[in-house]
Formats: sequence, C-alpha cells, structure tokens
Amino acid sequence: MVLFGTLFGGGLFSILIRDNLILRKFAFLIILIGLILNFNLTDTSEYISLFESIVLIVGLGLVLHLRNGDIIQLLFILASSIALLESNTILSFVVIFEAVAIISFVLVSYIQNSTEAEGSIKMFIIGATATGIILLGITIFSIGGGDINSTEIMFSNSLQKIGLWIILIGVLYKLTVFPFYFWAVDTYSMINHSQASILSGLIKTVVAIATFMIFYDFLITINNYILFAIISILTMTLGNILALYQKNIARILSYSSIAHAGYMLIPFASIESSYSSNGILYLAIAYIFMQTSAFLILDHLRNRHQIKTLNDLKGFASKNKIISLIFTIQLFSLAGIPLLAGFLSKAVAFYSGVDANLWWLILIALLNSALSVGYYAWIIKHIYFDSFDKNLNKNIKNSDNFNLPIHKFIGQLILLIGTLYFGIFATDILEINLF
Amino acid sequence: MFIVSVEFYNLAPESGFLVLGEYLKITSSSSLFSDFKLTLQIDKLSSIMLILSSLLLILVSLSSWNVKKQSSYFSLLIFFSGAIFGVFSSTNLLWFFIFWELTLVPMLFLIGIWGAENRIYATIKFFIYTHFASMFILLAFYLIYKESGVWDFSLIKEVTLVSPVLIWWLLFIGFAVKIPLFPFHTWLPDAHVQAPAPISVLLAGVLLKLGAYGIIRFVIQLLPETSQEFAIYMLIFGFLTFMFSAIVAIYQTHLKKMVAYSSISHMGLVMIALSTLTFEGLSAGLYEMLGHAFIISPLFLIAGFLHHKTGSWEMQDLGGLMQKAPYISAIFIIAGLGALGMPGTMGFIGEITILLSSIETFGTPMILIALGSMFGAGYIIWTIRRVIYGEMSEKVKKTNFEISKLEFAVLSLFTGIIIIFGIYPQAIFSIVNSAFAGGF
Repeated sequence: MVLFGTLFGGGLFSILIRDNLILRKFAFLIILIGLILNFNLTDTSEYISLFESIVLIVGLGLVLHLRNGDIIQLLFILASSIALLESNTILSFVVIFEAVAIISFVLVSYIQNSTEAEGSIKMFIIGATATGIILLGITIFSIGGGDINSTEIMFSNSLQKIGLWIILIGVLYKLTVFPFYFWAVDTYSMINHSQASILSGLIKTVVAIATFMIFYDFLITINNYILFAIISILTMTLGNILALYQKNIARILSYSSIAHAGYMLIPFASIESSYSSNGILYLAIAYIFMQTSAFLILDHLRNRHQIKTLNDLKGFASKNKIISLIFTIQLFSLAGIPLLAGFLSKAVAFYSGVDANLWWLILIALLNSALSVGYYAWIIKHIYFDSFDKNLNKNIKNSDNFNLPIHKFIGQLILLIGTLYFGIFATDILEINLF
Repeated sequence: MFIVSVEFYNLAPESGFLVLGEYLKITSSSSLFSDFKLTLQIDKLSSIMLILSSLLLILVSLSSWNVKKQSSYFSLLIFFSGAIFGVFSSTNLLWFFIFWELTLVPMLFLIGIWGAENRIYATIKFFIYTHFASMFILLAFYLIYKESGVWDFSLIKEVTLVSPVLIWWLLFIGFAVKIPLFPFHTWLPDAHVQAPAPISVLLAGVLLKLGAYGIIRFVIQLLPETSQEFAIYMLIFGFLTFMFSAIVAIYQTHLKKMVAYSSISHMGLVMIALSTLTFEGLSAGLYEMLGHAFIISPLFLIAGFLHHKTGSWEMQDLGGLMQKAPYISAIFIIAGLGALGMPGTMGFIGEITILLSSIETFGTPMILIALGSMFGAGYIIWTIRRVIYGEMSEKVKKTNFEISKLEFAVLSLFTGIIIIFGIYPQAIFSIVNSAFAGGF
C-alpha cells in the first residue's frame, strides 16, 4: 500500500511538472524510492516482492528511454501494476485490472499518425470487449452466490465455476493467447514502439503473474491441464510460424510475444507441479527484460533511422557495434540461447511441464523454441552477415551519429544486466516459494 | 589450455571423477532444484577430449594467423574454447547442456562472417538443425532428472530410471545429429564447405567429437542396459553412414565436399566401434576419433588453401599440383593415405582395430566394413589422381602457391602425428585405454 501510494502520488504530482528534464529526473527518483521501499517493506510475500522489484527496475530502464508524454502514464501503470500484484480478492483484481487497462488506453492515445491510431483503436475495442466478458463472469459468479469480496477464490456450485471460467477467459484476452491473438500483432506493431514495449513486456507479465496467483487454488481444483496444454500449443505454434513470414521487425517481435504467451501457459497447464510457480515467475522476469529492451531498441532505430523492415537493418553492425550487440544479446535471449535469462527461464518453466507428466507438451514447446531461432537468427543475419547498402536505406547517412544518447544507453544497460544476471544466477528465483 | 588439460589427465583418477569445483550453489535446502549447481569434474575420458580439443585449438589459431578482422575472430575463438572446456568438464546435466548450446553461438558467427560465398544459408542451417537436435537432448535430461532426482550424471544409475527406452531414443537422436549419422547429416556438408578452412577443422575435430562424446557419456555409460538392447540400431545407423558417405564422396568433384563426406564416413566408423559396447570397441572408437581429427584437419586446411589461391573448388581446376607445389602435395597425399587406412598411418590402426572388435561382437558379416574401406580407397585415390597428378590446369599454371611458414609448420605437425602414431599406436592406446579401464 505504501509502495502504491508513493508511485500513485508521484504520478499525480508529475502532472504538474511542466519542465521536461525535471520530469524525467523526478520520475526516476520516485521509482528509485519505490524500489528502496520495496526492499524494506515486509508486508508482502517474498514471491510478490521479488517480482515487484523487477517491475520497478524495468521501470527505471523505461523512464530513461520514454518520451516525456509517456512518463506520467508509466508512473500510473507501475502503481496499478503493484496494486494488481497485491490484490487478493476477485473484486480488487477486476477493478485494478480495469484500471491497468484504462491507463494503457491513455498511454496509447498519444497518437501521432493514422497507423498509430489504427493500433490504438484496435486495442481500445478489444479492451472494451474483455471488460464486458469479465463483467459477465462476475455477474454469473455473483448470481451463483459467490462472494466477490472474499480472499478465498473458490466455487461451490457450477454457476460460480462458469463465472470464474469466464473471468479467466476475459483475462486471457489480455494475454494474447489463441484464439484472441489477432489484435495483438496489429496493436504492438502499429503503435509507437516504446508504448508497445510497456504493453507487451510489462503489462503482459504483470497480468500473467497476478492471474496465476489469484486463480492458483481455482486452477488446482479444476486441474484442467488438457485445455491449457492445447491452447498453449496452438498459441506458440501459430506465433512462431507466422513470425517466420514477416518482413517488418516490429511484427516479428509481436508474433514472438504471442509465442511467449504460449510458453507462459505451460505453468498454467502444469499447475500440479510444485515447480510451476517458479516457472512462471522466472519466465515473466526474463521476458520483461528482453522484450522491453528489444522494443526500445527498435523504437530508437525507427525514430532515428527510419528502420522498419529487415532490409533496412542490413549491415547495421558496421554502423553501430554497441546497439547491434545489445540487440543481438536480447534476441538470443528471446530465442533461448544459454547463459541468458531466456534459456534458464524456459528451462525451469518447461521442467514444470515434465514434472507434471506432460512431456509431449514440452517436446512440442522445445521444438517450437528451436523453430523460433529461425526468425531471431534471421534478424541477426541481417545485422551482421549482410553488407551495408547505401541505396537501400537512404535515411542512414555516413555522417549520422549512430550512438544512443547517454540516458537511453544507461536504460539499455539496466535491462541488459537483468538479462545476463538471471541467465546465470538462478538461485534468487528458485529459492522462493509461492506461499 | 593444452598444458592444463595434460595436467588434468595426469591428475584424473583411474575410475570416477576429479572434482575441480562447485559453483553457483543453491544454499537453502528447502528450495526446488536443490542440487542445481555448476559442478566441474573430469575423468580420463573428458581429459583426453580436452587434450585433443586444446591441441586443435592451438593449431587452428596458428593457421588462421593472418585472418581478416582479427580481434573479433579470435575473441569468438576464445569464447568457443571456453564453451568446449565447459562441455567436457561439467557433470551437471543442465550445465552440460548450457555449454553444449553455447558452442553454437561462436560457430554461427565464425561461419557466417568469415565463410565462403554461400555462407549465410550454411550457417543458419547449421544453427537451426543442431539447435533442433539439442531440444531432444534437453527433454531427455529433464526426464532423467524427474526420474532420478539428481542433476549430476556421475551419480545417476540406470536402474532408477522409469522410462529408459524413451530417454535412450531422445538422447540417441539428439547426439546422432551432431555426429552426424546418415539421415541427419545434411547440415554438415554445407557447413563444412562454406566455413573457412580453420573453422572446418574445428567442426570436424571438435564439434563432431562432441556428438561422439555424448554417445559414450550418456547413451553408453548412463544407459548401458538399454544400449545393449538397441546396439543393433547404433550399428545400422553407423554402418549406413559409413557406406553412404563413402559412396557419395566418390561422386564429388568439389574438393572440400569430398573431404567433408570422408569426414562423415569416418564418424560412421566411430559409431560402429561404439556400438560394440566392449572395452576393445570403445578404445578403438576413441582412437579413431583422435585419428580422424588429425587426418581430416590437414585435408581441410589444404583444400581451403587451394581455394584461397586459385579461387576454385573444382578438382579439374586443380590438376597437376605436384609440379607446382610438391610439399603441399606430399602432405595431401600422406593425409589422404591416412584417410583411406594405409598401413603406417593412424587411419589404418583405427580401421583394423574397429574391424577386429566389431567382428568379435557381431560376427563375420562385419567383413563388410573392409568393403566400405575399399570405397574409401576409391575416392581418395581418385582425388589424388585428379588433383595432385594429372594434366596441369590453366588455373594452377597461373597461380603462385607460396605458403606462409606458420601454416606449413602446422601442416607438417599434423603429418608427423599421423605417421608417428600410426607406427607407434601403443602411445595413444595407453592413453585411450585408461579412459575405459575403470569400466564403463
């Protein structure tokens, strides 16, 4: 609550700040205070506390990169994410879930051209649909006599069970799983990439973790692993195969985001394994670092050099080694190459599936993960192996300054350290139990 | 690194492992994965592999002394050697897999940046193909951990496993791609042809050996009873690889492709040796692994050198080399004779021991291996006839085959090793036998 108050108050106060430079510093300071507070507070479980600090660290990286207009929204999003993670009744979960959704609409409504407008509208409509579904679920749950204000989320008759299922479906809308994934690609690739990094990285993982915790008992009771396994397989397979055919880098990353939503469903399917809670936590932590960083780099490349498609990236390594290296490391991590967070997170999450006797699901997931290397390696091929062609991308001139501004560089460094650290030191996450 | 590995060999106990250290331990005992740690341990087998890899890495870095973009090339090479060191010395299954995958990353860049014309196709194919295969290995490791409860493979016994057959097949397919065995071999000719010559040496000498090491370590040593049951499949795959690649090699006019198929054929021979599951067979297989590394390396280096000078891979463009470059031709002939199994070279000792041990296990039909060697003789002699002797081609006439002293020294060293240990194999066998002396 203190943490939420700090961030929320900081957000309110930051509206009053007109000076752009001070705004960034102020927001950075607020998040830093939040981080320190989080280390000293003991009112939440270790599990939530760890994820909250990760969210705040990623927030630090984001603040250093974002446009000024987005910083205020980021503070609100962080505040509501914290609240969502700490919510423990259906009522608070749904209300804060809607709060997150509304703030993200405000975030994407900062529109500059018609493409961004299309992406935002799509997200708005889908968000409204999801809200409708969730409200329907709550209504049915209440009709069945369920107490939405109880910390024990459980059903005693079939009406309540149906209600909870419908709420879950509404939430899965946000997680972009099959068959609700169509909107995500357009939204993520059309809106501004820095906003997409918040949506597809931060919000998605927070929703996944919060849903997992809220519905843990419910999922254990119904133990419907076949349904989740099938949705998971369809989601990741579609995401990976469609990503192979894309030319636009943002679309590739959007499809990869869908594929990762598929991986995140594996712990849902293998809920009976005691590894599942650690699996989804690790997956979320790794994913939030790599996806945020990849989209932010893409944002920089597009704003600065109008790089949109793979062809524009040709030979980029000869122009800027540092951006290429960071981008490559994050892509390798997304692909699941060892010594990076992406590998160990998948390793733990997939092991939970094996532990729950779903080895066929894990075989498909592993092959999917190998397939995904195809498109990540294809991006890397364009960066490193092709030679730079002046005629192809006229916006890149030899005189251009290819360096990242220093504040963006520090932001990237924070995210990179996260990716590297959690690729080797698994202990921090594996030692924590859900309850 | 070489000195360290020799030292490891001397220190490693006759049976069991020498513990080098344990890192990244999980302290709280209540947590999941409580024995998840990076355990570095070596025994005789892994130290032999380390000696071979480090020796090849030294020679490779010497022979690529004048490469372009040196700083990134050599940093990738060092990265690669670190990963190799990890593979051979970690006994934790998950860390073994981490290092195993890590070897692919520097290779992706080494082939993709310094390779020949069609390098991008080759390197992406290599990367994805082997990555796919690794996924089977990872799943097998998961199942092993689930059923035995420990990550450290030196502590795992087969009897504790519930589904050894599934694990066996997953492991076998995973490692078969790396070796590579017959239906899974298509990535290797591409990668070999497009890679720069020193990297081809690493591919053949180190990366393929990883596959064979994996077979010995996990398929044979970890699951001995299931291997006994399925030994015949190992034999069939090995034999098919051996014959098929030898026949394909005869049809090649592309010099480096011929060497690549010859390399695959030798790995098939190694697989036949391993499938016997006897002490003699395993020793012979390990000997052949070492011999293969030393015989194929100079062939790759010379093929790369000839392409660098003449700009052609085709054999008809390289005819009459003996008249222009007699020393290089002599080395090519010696290494070629080694590859076909000429008495007096390492190749002969490898083939004859494998022949004898497989006849002992599987009976007289194994005479067919000798038939396969005849194909080997076919392609090597046919190549020597076309490249070294024969009409002098226009390209050879125009080219100046001056070789740097360093590169020549490396080639001579390989030749020396082939002949010395061909005449005096006992030196190698005394090392190789110790790997399996403590039982396997």
